[in-house]
Amino acid sequence: MRTLFAICLILSSGSILVAGPAELEIASQVDAKLTELFAAENVTPAGLASDEDFLRRVSLDLAGVVPSPGEVTLFGLNPDPNKRSKKIDELLASEAYGKIWGSYWKDVVFIAATEQRTRLVEPGFEAWLVDEFNANRPWDEITRELITATGRVDEEGRTGLIFAHTGQPEELAAEISRIFMGIQMSCANCHDHPTDSWKREQFHGLAAFLPRVSVRREDPGMPNSFAVRSAEFNGRRGRGDLDPEQLFQFMDRNRDGKLNKSEAQGPLKDRFDQILTVADQDKDKQISKDEFAVIRAMMDNQQPGRGEEEYHMPDLNNPASKGELMQPVFFVEEAKGPKLKEGADDMTRRHALVDYITAKSNPWFAMAFVNRVWSEMLGQGFYMPIDDMGPERTAMFEEVLGILAEGFRDNDYNVKWLYRTIANTEAYQRTMQTESSDSITPFAAASPMRMRSDQIYNAYKQVLGIEDSFSNRGAYGMQNNMLRGRRGDAGRIAFATLFSYDPSMPQEDIIGNIPQALFMMNSPQLEGLVNGNADTKLGRILNKYEDDTDAISELYLLVLARSPSNKEVEIAQQYIKQVNNRSEAFEDLMWSLLNSTEFLSKR
Amino acid sequence: MSTYLHEHITVGRKHVNRRRFLQRISATAIAAGTLNFREMLPVQAEELRQQGKSMILLWMAGGPSQFETFDPKPNHENGGGTKVISTAIPGVQIASEWKETAKVMHEIALIRSLNNKEGAHQRATYQMHTGYIPSGSVKHPAFGSCVAQQLANAEHELPSVVSIGQTQGAGFLGVDYEPFVVNNPGTMPANVAANKPQARFNRRLGLLDQLEDEFAGRGAQSAVTNHRQLYGKASRLSQSPTTKAFDISEESATLKAAYGDTQFGRGCLLARRLVESGVTFIEVRSNGWDTHTNVFEEVTNKANEVDPASATLITDLKTRGLLDNTIVVWAGEFGRTPKVNARGGRDHYPRAFNCWLAGGGIKGGQVIGETSKDGSIIEDRPVSVADLLQSISKSLNINPSKENISPQGRPMKVVDGGEVIEDLFA
Repeated sequence: MRTLFAICLILSSGSILVAGPAELEIASQVDAKLTELFAAENVTPAGLASDEDFLRRVSLDLAGVVPSPGEVTLFGLNPDPNKRSKKIDELLASEAYGKIWGSYWKDVVFIAATEQRTRLVEPGFEAWLVDEFNANRPWDEITRELITATGRVDEEGRTGLIFAHTGQPEELAAEISRIFMGIQMSCANCHDHPTDSWKREQFHGLAAFLPRVSVRREDPGMPNSFAVRSAEFNGRRGRGDLDPEQLFQFMDRNRDGKLNKSEAQGPLKDRFDQILTVADQDKDKQISKDEFAVIRAMMDNQQPGRGEEEYHMPDLNNPASKGELMQPVFFVEEAKGPKLKEGADDMTRRHALVDYITAKSNPWFAMAFVNRVWSEMLGQGFYMPIDDMGPERTAMFEEVLGILAEGFRDNDYNVKWLYRTIANTEAYQRTMQTESSDSITPFAAASPMRMRSDQIYNAYKQVLGIEDSFSNRGAYGMQNNMLRGRRGDAGRIAFATLFSYDPSMPQEDIIGNIPQALFMMNSPQLEGLVNGNADTKLGRILNKYEDDTDAISELYLLVLARSPSNKEVEIAQQYIKQVNNRSEAFEDLMWSLLNSTEFLSKR
Repeated sequence: MSTYLHEHITVGRKHVNRRRFLQRISATAIAAGTLNFREMLPVQAEELRQQGKSMILLWMAGGPSQFETFDPKPNHENGGGTKVISTAIPGVQIASEWKETAKVMHEIALIRSLNNKEGAHQRATYQMHTGYIPSGSVKHPAFGSCVAQQLANAEHELPSVVSIGQTQGAGFLGVDYEPFVVNNPGTMPANVAANKPQARFNRRLGLLDQLEDEFAGRGAQSAVTNHRQLYGKASRLSQSPTTKAFDISEESATLKAAYGDTQFGRGCLLARRLVESGVTFIEVRSNGWDTHTNVFEEVTNKANEVDPASATLITDLKTRGLLDNTIVVWAGEFGRTPKVNARGGRDHYPRAFNCWLAGGGIKGGQVIGETSKDGSIIEDRPVSVADLLQSISKSLNINPSKENISPQGRPMKVVDGGEVIEDLFA
């Protein structure tokens, strides 16, 4: 057995990256440009990672899983010079690819949700994303589906983004800009952007694409009957701009200074009785002018996202007023898109917005996606933070980002093309480099990354041999009734409440927390699964390998997907000797590996 | 190569993150232990930390009715027939279900004129907890996390923010101030106790530490250093005698009975134990205040839990000499509508609602603000959420104008706007 590992090591350290087929042209261009830029800085990039490290890294990135001991061994022994490219293709073709990236994008959108009821639709939204990624829908089409979605939130997963902000134009504008273009516009909500050149009018011009989005509960008896719709205004234009007094006069046809049920119109008519119970101060079953003013104020202040005819930019000096009427105008000058007529309906506006965002003349769209995916795979984006790209920022290695963004655009925003290209670069496949006191040049060596919640969860399941899910009870602090009886893996969702983080955060800010450490150290559930005397993975290893060194090697392969170094074997052997109880010592070894930085890291 | 580092800082979110910052100062100085990050904190901050101030937030999730708690309207039809009782403050009456609270009113400053604009649960809860309205682009830290950031002792083994029940998080302040959530007060929280005897637990930690060297040596030094710090903290907590604070079994039966054998009662008793053990901010949640139907019956049920527990908390803190340094705040996200609806309930009403404060230098035995006879509007001394947070900041002696930098590089004050309600302080 030991000789086998030795062979693996020799093979893996000798691996060379063989140039792939023609479609990997862009990957070579990326590496050539990086080589040129490194040379100019007098930087020598690190060599390629070993097969073991590459396999674990690429499996986590493209499928969210860790390789099994068997896979590690076979991959090391495989003499095919194109085996890395082939592995990349194999992983991209697996269902696990869509699962991990669907879940990633669900987090990107939902971690910023201002509507807490989005939990209701989390499984549906994620399932929709998973299908989109597995079907390799181009990114511009996914974008269009998300922004133009309508339907019941419990039936149409694509409504997730709009529901996440209850259809509120300002929140949606800020998020659409951040997610799809990597531009933070929200500062411009209240004032001109302090560090970027965005003006307040530009932010509100973006929000003006979205006032007619309506999110409402359709069945009062059903808590999750929310639906995203287009509010229709049927050409009755201008009435939304009337002040309460004019509007009251308009409806009060018999001019008695009171509105009764037959006079009321629009939303007031729809919910007349309900409104009466709240607003009818004098209990005459009619609404007086004063009562009406109160109702209007309540509806204006508390119901954004319910579908307004036009969008108004708030007047900061007079917040109670209606504000300034804004027409939809897209803020990126070079982006070409349709000219909207005044009073355009909701779908015309939303599709126009998508036309501008996804236009090949809008450079931000491709750059934002490339920057994000690159950062998730290499640990750092060209722009950091990844969702704050500009325009007053400079990228690191801007030309490299340019090559990839152009390629992504020219390939019609083909998502798998981008993953395939990045995974095939030498930049992606480099080994880690010993950290010196000086900082390492980005992309000249691999840097370890904290794994995402799903990756850790999958790794636990694989390493501990759990077929189904963790039970709900074991995870720290989980007492959420909403999780029961829903679609999706309840254990995974419970795990995420403990381990998930905002995927838009820089890697170096993600350092774990105490409840996570307590779970990994002390969870009785995990402890039971490292029992050396039971029918566990460890128990089986100890039965199969009488030789401690073989068992140590097997355990390392299982938990960390690599062979131990001589030093590690030595430490383990010494520990076993000192403890003088084989299964206890191995339990402690497995516990230590499961609690190590490396287990939680993509290396 | 330093150009890249420099670029990273200027390009990045304006806040120089700690790791890079230290790298720039001098990696060797850190390694040699000659520069301690904590030494760079202003001296004033150290003084603050030594004052031993704490806060307990009693949170009535769902929005408690002011009419059935501390602003009853017995002489108006909006009062809904809720009966009243006299309190320790002459001339001040509260709803009759709050008998124990009535007896400690001399310690309480009651605010009847709290007002706000947010009428949806999650938005209002977010705003009351953070002082900010929700925004997709930034996760504001909860006020409690900001308090801990200024007051908590980093060397302390227990978490600085504990919430009994789920709550808002530390937002961009990060994991150090993330609330440690306890779901079942009275029993040890999940995973705190080690599974194995101490000797073996330590042996494991030792092995882990040895094995970490390999990964550190391969290029993950920073990640391993962070992980070691985290594990140091977590394992100290796991083995610390201070975790006994979570176990309320050693309290006397009389005292336990006074708090009440309920989730909220045990939570309040635990809160007092945590204050004694040096925890800076504790939230105790009471759920079920969203009384759209049968408000009278529902609030009576809630009062049976909350009234004895909160009143006992005040007297217990007082007896132990802890009340002067501990501010207790009772509040929910909004009030309920003056008119009783067709289902005998009350709906959301943020325009006039109530809350109370006790301890921490607050002058008890007084009422701030007043609502109209029908309870629909505020007629005297309106108090905003910002005013309330400013006043609590004064009680805790923290700096409400301290600016934390959001991930977008935007400075955000702990409390934005508002002013201290001077009458609260003697």
